[in-house]
Amino acid sequence: MTDGLLRAAVGVPLNAAAALLVAPLFQGAMRRLTAIVQSRRGPPIRQAYFDLLKLLGKEDIESGESGVMQRFAAYLAFACTLALTSLVPMGFPAPLGAGADAVALIYLLTLAGMCTLLAGLAAGSTYSLLGVSREMMAMVALEPLFVVALVVGALHRRSLRLDAVFGGSVYDVGGFPWSGLVMLAVMALSFQAFVQRAPFDIAEAETELMDGPLMEYSGPKLALFKYAQMVRLVVHAALFVAIFAPWGSGLGAPLGWLLFWAKVSLLVLLVALVAATHARYRIDQAIRYFAGLLAAAAVALALAACGH
Amino acid sequence: MPARETLIALRQRFGSAIERADLAGEGRLHLFVERASLGAVCRHLALDLGARFITTIGADDRPYSGRFLVVHNFAFDREHWIASVATQPPADDPRVESICGAVPAAAWAEREMRDLVGIVPEGHRYLKRLVLPDGWPDGVHPLRKDVAWNFSPPGFDEGREFGFGEPPEGCIVVPFGPFHPTLDEPAHFRLYVEGEQVRGCEYRGFMAHRGIEKLAESVMTYNEIPLLAERICGICGCVHSVAYVQAVESAAALQPPPRAEYLRTIMLEIERLQSHLLAVGLACHIVGFDTLFMQCFRIREPVMRVAEEITGNRKTYALCVVGGVRWDIGAALRAKLLGVLERLEAEWRAVADAVGGDRNLRRRTVGVGIAGPALARDTALVGPVARAAGVAIDCRRDHPYGAYARVDFNVVTADGGDAWSRLVVRMTEVFESIRIIRQCLAQMEDGPLGLGIPDELPVGRWGLSSVEAPRGESHHFVITGEGNRPRRWRVRAPTYQNLQGVPAMIKDQQLADMTISLGSIDPCFSCTDRLETVDLRSGAARTWSQPELERLARAAARRLTP
Repeated sequence: MTDGLLRAAVGVPLNAAAALLVAPLFQGAMRRLTAIVQSRRGPPIRQAYFDLLKLLGKEDIESGESGVMQRFAAYLAFACTLALTSLVPMGFPAPLGAGADAVALIYLLTLAGMCTLLAGLAAGSTYSLLGVSREMMAMVALEPLFVVALVVGALHRRSLRLDAVFGGSVYDVGGFPWSGLVMLAVMALSFQAFVQRAPFDIAEAETELMDGPLMEYSGPKLALFKYAQMVRLVVHAALFVAIFAPWGSGLGAPLGWLLFWAKVSLLVLLVALVAATHARYRIDQAIRYFAGLLAAAAVALALAACGH
Repeated sequence: MPARETLIALRQRFGSAIERADLAGEGRLHLFVERASLGAVCRHLALDLGARFITTIGADDRPYSGRFLVVHNFAFDREHWIASVATQPPADDPRVESICGAVPAAAWAEREMRDLVGIVPEGHRYLKRLVLPDGWPDGVHPLRKDVAWNFSPPGFDEGREFGFGEPPEGCIVVPFGPFHPTLDEPAHFRLYVEGEQVRGCEYRGFMAHRGIEKLAESVMTYNEIPLLAERICGICGCVHSVAYVQAVESAAALQPPPRAEYLRTIMLEIERLQSHLLAVGLACHIVGFDTLFMQCFRIREPVMRVAEEITGNRKTYALCVVGGVRWDIGAALRAKLLGVLERLEAEWRAVADAVGGDRNLRRRTVGVGIAGPALARDTALVGPVARAAGVAIDCRRDHPYGAYARVDFNVVTADGGDAWSRLVVRMTEVFESIRIIRQCLAQMEDGPLGLGIPDELPVGRWGLSSVEAPRGESHHFVITGEGNRPRRWRVRAPTYQNLQGVPAMIKDQQLADMTISLGSIDPCFSCTDRLETVDLRSGAARTWSQPELERLARAAARRLTP
């Protein structure tokens, strides 16, 4: 018990700090990679930190329907993603992994998504609301995929506890891990959508909706949303590694830790590469795409239930 | 039917309704009809003879003939000639029958004529303001000769509104513009949207009018106007300057020397290259594919640089004078240009392959923003928008000018009529432009760059010129005048027609397709909005390139605001 408390007391701030520190670095690296693909030089990698600092230092302008709700949405979005960092292993086991279960994780992830909706609704402009409706459609189609990925592992391990679900539980069957591999494919194909990057940046779609739900935001509130989005990328990448690519995490301190971050970095750069080489989907096209993945996820769920 | 036979047939059909006719040189027929028959003659040309509507010119001819002047221009593209049907309403009764029932493409041109010259097209189905700002007082028509170029009328009503219609049942209003990331210039589409479906729209543009025609008609001279004309557009300026000087040359029966014609052709094609590269890049950007956008711009840069080496400027070439050109291409520049073209051809092939092979790009553009042959005919669409609908019109072949009759090139068409087809047409035309420039460089012989014109140009003659801009036909109409300047100069840019097709193109489509539909006509608002006066609310002064114009606008704004 004391051991668990101690681990939480040290691990929670450590994980949060790691995610907060690393997220803009990743953002900068992604920009740089994008620039290389586009034959540009691109900004220095540290630019993402400067951008956040600059936004945080700007005047907090109230523009939109409900200032209180807008501020609340920004804080909540940031708080949710910070809370998520303590449920996700980042080189070490998740600090609260033993105390929380998969359902809490799903709740928090959904809540983080809801913050975008809240932000758009509170802003209330036409383009924000259009972005909200797109975001809502995408969420309805996407969230079940993540639930299935966790449930498949939980079925194999017969436990919803996070430390049981992580660590490659999806492959943990007697024979060939059919359900695990199907879910790996499904999650890999929908990863861009979870982190809201092109070709699935539909709700924000700068050239169509001018940032959609976030269009009324500027200064510190925008900084919080942007920061939360950057951290979310780290969280999702870490989750993906924890669930589907845990190999080597057991190696202990320096090596396992290094391996973990190498995998996360690779995933992040892959996201940038895909985003730089694809045109945006239209919402109906995206939903059709998600529907196909949902069908595959349903098959995986059935396989997992049958013990494959 | 050639112009002459058509004239004979028209005389038989309409008899004395045709007051006067003039076969003015090759490919031009000027027809003066009595006012009551204007509609009937135009309907016959458009519906029975299949002529393509170009534009309507309204002019205040009272100081010269005591009457107003209305001219409808029609093109017979397959037969290579242009008909101008004119009538002269009396000074005290400036009304004509509207032709836009039979020729919907005339809708804007007739509204503009009412705004600026005060000639009312009777029976027009949508006679709201097109050009003048909403607060402009009624009854003041800036292109009339008794209105000074710097006149600002008292009684500007800041609070007056355009008066949009009611949205259809179940639709919300989504304002698209005046400012939107994909609109590089201000224009306002009021979209009526049901869910994600666009059910209809109303357009209010002309927020950046610069009074260019008025300025030319009142204070500039023949050879100053080309410099102003090329500032009509930030992308296809050379087109306007060539079209203007060709109109003047055709009015004064001047034939520029061959080398000047080749140089004009080369610069027009260089302009087309940079414009098409820009348009394809922008289309990629609109659907979120920024990598191809960046690559297009990288490939485009050497074209801009070589233009700068030839003319001293990346974009405004200052190429034309009446009767010739200013700049020459020497041996060193010629070699450099050929090198740029060679690299461009290889790199563009790679981009075209990447665009052609991209499934997402296809998904976003195939079947989107459809303008079929019927819409192309009704709204007289031009350029790549018409060619992508399988309508093979191209002024370079149909109404040859410059050196186009002496070079070999294909008129690129497609049959989808959608945003994808327009993209493909533009990408393919880049290769045709490269071919044209190479042929010009090979054929061009040494010789003078221009005519010496020691005397005054004849007065009161008409000149017409159609030039194939990257976006379609740019049409200029000039009536020569006294004081070394034209009496009337009317510009019709291609976007003026293509924009009128947009409401039909986006109807019952997804809202997400609005931007790429609009982007695929490659709209050019500064071309379209080129006319009279200042819109105070839009702060139009921002877009003005000439300091003189800026000062003028600020002074006018100060006078108008209390």
